[in-house]
Amino acid sequence: MKLPTLPTEKSFQSSLHHPRVATVIGRWLGTVVVICFLTGLYSHFQQDTPSWLPIPSRPATLYRVTQGVHVVSGTIAVPLLLAKLWTVYPKLFAKLPWPPSRKALETMLERASILVLVSAMALELFIGFLNTLQWYPWPFPFRQTHYALAWIIVGALFVHIAVKLPLIRANWRRIAEIVPNSLPPAISGLTRRGLFRTVAGAAAVVGITSVGQSVPALGPVAVLAPRKPNIGPQGLPVNRTADAAGVTGIDDNWRFTVKGPRELSYTLEELQQLPQSRSALPIACVEGWSQGGRWEGVRIRDLLELCGAPAHSRVRVVSMEKGGFYATSELPEQFAADSLTLLALRLNGTELALDHGFPARIIAPNRPGVLQTKWVHRLEVIA
Amino acid sequence: MKTRMGLAGVGVLLGLWGVWKLATTVDLHGLVRLPLWLGGAVLADDFFLVPLTVTAGWLVTRWASRPDGHRTVGAIRTTLLYVGITSLIAVPLMLRQGKGVNPTILPRDYLRDWLLLEATIIAAGIVGYLIASRSAGNALRPATSAVVARAWRGLRRVRRAPRYE
Repeated sequence: MKLPTLPTEKSFQSSLHHPRVATVIGRWLGTVVVICFLTGLYSHFQQDTPSWLPIPSRPATLYRVTQGVHVVSGTIAVPLLLAKLWTVYPKLFAKLPWPPSRKALETMLERASILVLVSAMALELFIGFLNTLQWYPWPFPFRQTHYALAWIIVGALFVHIAVKLPLIRANWRRIAEIVPNSLPPAISGLTRRGLFRTVAGAAAVVGITSVGQSVPALGPVAVLAPRKPNIGPQGLPVNRTADAAGVTGIDDNWRFTVKGPRELSYTLEELQQLPQSRSALPIACVEGWSQGGRWEGVRIRDLLELCGAPAHSRVRVVSMEKGGFYATSELPEQFAADSLTLLALRLNGTELALDHGFPARIIAPNRPGVLQTKWVHRLEVIA
Repeated sequence: MKTRMGLAGVGVLLGLWGVWKLATTVDLHGLVRLPLWLGGAVLADDFFLVPLTVTAGWLVTRWASRPDGHRTVGAIRTTLLYVGITSLIAVPLMLRQGKGVNPTILPRDYLRDWLLLEATIIAAGIVGYLIASRSAGNALRPATSAVVARAWRGLRRVRRAPRYE
């Protein structure tokens, strides 16, 4: 019996496996990857702020936008990556140059860089998407791996562009489409413009059906999104429940304390008697979902004034949460001083639900949800 | 050449920074297993998803070479692609349905929503096909469109004519 032969580069007859198509879809994918990388970098710096980078507290909804864009751009990169791989697929079957020469070495290095790029990007999109479901079936830490792979992808992308630059330049502008006689568009229906429209359409369909977790108006059609912005206690989703955090509520002995130049201690009733302020701010999660809320509580800057701390002080926020990465957080001075930053006691007109941080939580503008610490019982003025 | 060398140099540095980050933040247990997952991602793409697309495209194109087949090929190919890509993204959602760490994660009925989405895409594909084939039909039958145009002009003339009651 004769075994089927492996395909070669020439086995793929479609005229759409063409450098012009690869250049156009590559431009789209490259743009989306860069947007995804920059917004991801911003999110990383929000959580792990280097001392040389002051992150502003305004615009208040900036993180909501950047992280929504991060997750959507990652999601629409899936059809774009597949389209790009489809276009260049015949190259996978190109013969390796032989005998060894300088040219052969260059080809091997080029292929190695593409292997790094494709493997890292495919895994990055996969783990990124599963993270939005809070599903972690892999044996390595998500955040660290996701961050490191992002740098590797961008590096490999630079190398890829360097290698392909002459081809990219030659195909940057529209060039005549040569169609093989065996597959005229009248039969195959295949044209470059048709392919571009189809790929852009696929990206649009995926985007529209998933962006609703960040844009509540599109929530009803977000059938490919793991969150619905209005589902949850008080109309807001939850990431870490009180149960998961080991918080059961408070008893009569509960006190909220501020450790500063003067020590302050309040019961919940006393906190409620302090001047209350209102902020309309979103909870914007690293997983991309976000939802606006109407918060009421005591301004952090008012508490700083009451304890005699300078207006521009950094504040450590301590939660009753047991364990977890975010049991404490730090409010940089610009966030502590912002008039919108509250020790929130109420949400959307009612007392905070336990899952939203009862009796008190931090809500600040332009911050990831994981830093909006819940179940707060102590503030410590750092400097 | 200088531009290319510069780009490649920056790329290698950025990539090495990523490798350094991996080596310093991920433990040995994870580092050893990461290449398996990277390899798995390549296998899934290059030996499953893309061949599936290539095969589907080949079958559709072959089928399109039947008499009159070319009229439907565009609509079928686009519909199949959209069904495929949305299903690929829906799979993890359906697999994890009901297994979210709290009830606000994956709160939809993802199986029902997936079926609705695919039904909508297929319906849109059929509508697109009908519109395309109708305009193609008109293009092929200039006599018909001339008849329609004459009838339309006649109708307007009648409408504009003074009415006597």
